[in-house]
Amino acid sequence: MTPPLLDLVKTRTVLLDGAMGTELMARGLAQGVAPELWNVERPEVVKGVYAAYFAAGADVVSTNSFGGSPLKLAAHGLEGRAYELNLAAARLAREAAPAGRYVAGSMGPTGKFLKPQGPYAVEDFAAVYAEQTRALAAGGVDVLLIETQYDLREALAALHGARSASPLPVFVTMTFNANPRGYFTLMGDSAARSAAELEKEGVGAVGANCTLTSEQMVGCVRALKEATSLPLIAQANAGQPTIGADGRVGYSQTLEDYVRFVPEIVRSGAGFVGGCCGTNPSFIRAMARAIQEERS
Amino acid sequence: MIKNELWPKMNEAIVAGDRAAAAALAGDAVRSGLDLLEVIERGYVPGIEKVGELWEQGEYFLPELISSAEAMKAAMAVLEPELNRKNIGARMGGKVVIGTVEGDIHDIGKNLVASMLQAGGFEVFDLGADVKLERFIEKAEAVGAGMICLSALLTTTMTNQRRLIGLLRDKGLRDKYKVLVGGAPASRKWAEEIGADGYAENAVAAVKLAKSLAGRA
Repeated sequence: MTPPLLDLVKTRTVLLDGAMGTELMARGLAQGVAPELWNVERPEVVKGVYAAYFAAGADVVSTNSFGGSPLKLAAHGLEGRAYELNLAAARLAREAAPAGRYVAGSMGPTGKFLKPQGPYAVEDFAAVYAEQTRALAAGGVDVLLIETQYDLREALAALHGARSASPLPVFVTMTFNANPRGYFTLMGDSAARSAAELEKEGVGAVGANCTLTSEQMVGCVRALKEATSLPLIAQANAGQPTIGADGRVGYSQTLEDYVRFVPEIVRSGAGFVGGCCGTNPSFIRAMARAIQEERS
Repeated sequence: MIKNELWPKMNEAIVAGDRAAAAALAGDAVRSGLDLLEVIERGYVPGIEKVGELWEQGEYFLPELISSAEAMKAAMAVLEPELNRKNIGARMGGKVVIGTVEGDIHDIGKNLVASMLQAGGFEVFDLGADVKLERFIEKAEAVGAGMICLSALLTTTMTNQRRLIGLLRDKGLRDKYKVLVGGAPASRKWAEEIGADGYAENAVAAVKLAKSLAGRA
């Protein structure tokens, strides 16, 4: 029988996946189109990306539903299809997952602000995360992954929303900037405070993703480790995006440079490691090797 | 109230993001018949500059920036009608058209830059997100703007920043506008590559850059 993810991470480093949106664009997703739409319109392509990450060695693949919040889909006029698109994201991942592998239901930020910076109340946010959770849970995800949060208050609202809709474990990653005083979200939540608050609210695992390079992620994981005893998640960007003379998008960290810091990320305390913007199945394959070598 | 007492209080109101105090002090200045341009430059502008420093030092974050920009707006809302009555322009920075380029719905950074530019004395025309490139030019032409600010959060949409500059060239309008680019994937190198007039890493830097391009710094 497949052990729960939180049991597995007690025994070894668990490998997550890398970027999804750029993989879909490489397969023809047009600018301005919601990637979640392809869960229904081009299911074989989405499934192909999931399969590529599993084939690269990922233990866990996250669903193509990062922008699947009804609030975010509204920008594409798709808010009425939130349940359908999230359900499809999860079902496809479940179908693509080999036995013994896992599916995390991805929920990115709403892109909106709570009062007083924005018009929304905590309950509004909790409600949209609950709606997304219901669909992802119905589609068969193993855990819920509330990702790339820049406001601890939104992360907590998301957690409460997810809880109200499903008994599944909830993981949360926040996105921190490296500033002169340490690692902080856009709203000023420190890594330590975020981890401590989320632990108090009973999340299964907590961590950092996006924004930071794999080199910077080492320090961020250390800061998180000091504040919590929870399993830690680390999904760094491959540096900063660059555009070549041919118009192709690249990232400032090469695969070798990115992976070089993976053993240190693990040694600093991350139990779940994967990639974010600029990473692809090749990065995950190389990370799998690095983790394997670290273990032996 | 004498000026030497007023300036630090105005300063503090902006740094603390206290809208009510910022507006009340502006009211005091109007009633006392002070030179209102001096009030802006010596009372309020140093406050918003201090906020910028606190942001750069990692002491202030987005909520504080927004509160301070709001306090600045509240003060300007009191001062501007008075200045207009005397036919004095309060917006020394000139006019700026800003938006997130087409195909991109992200607007957090753009909104912040728009607020800070406004707080910094620019007249800002915010076109929102997912803005068709032609719209930027139409608006800039219509209002007589001097600057166009383009935001993009995605690597796939930042190429529209390049396209806008091409579009300006095609129309023979390139030299008429300063074009500033920003957003997570943008960089100084990118700005140079596409022939933009400048790049700023964050809202505070954007105001500095805009001021220097407008010849105010």
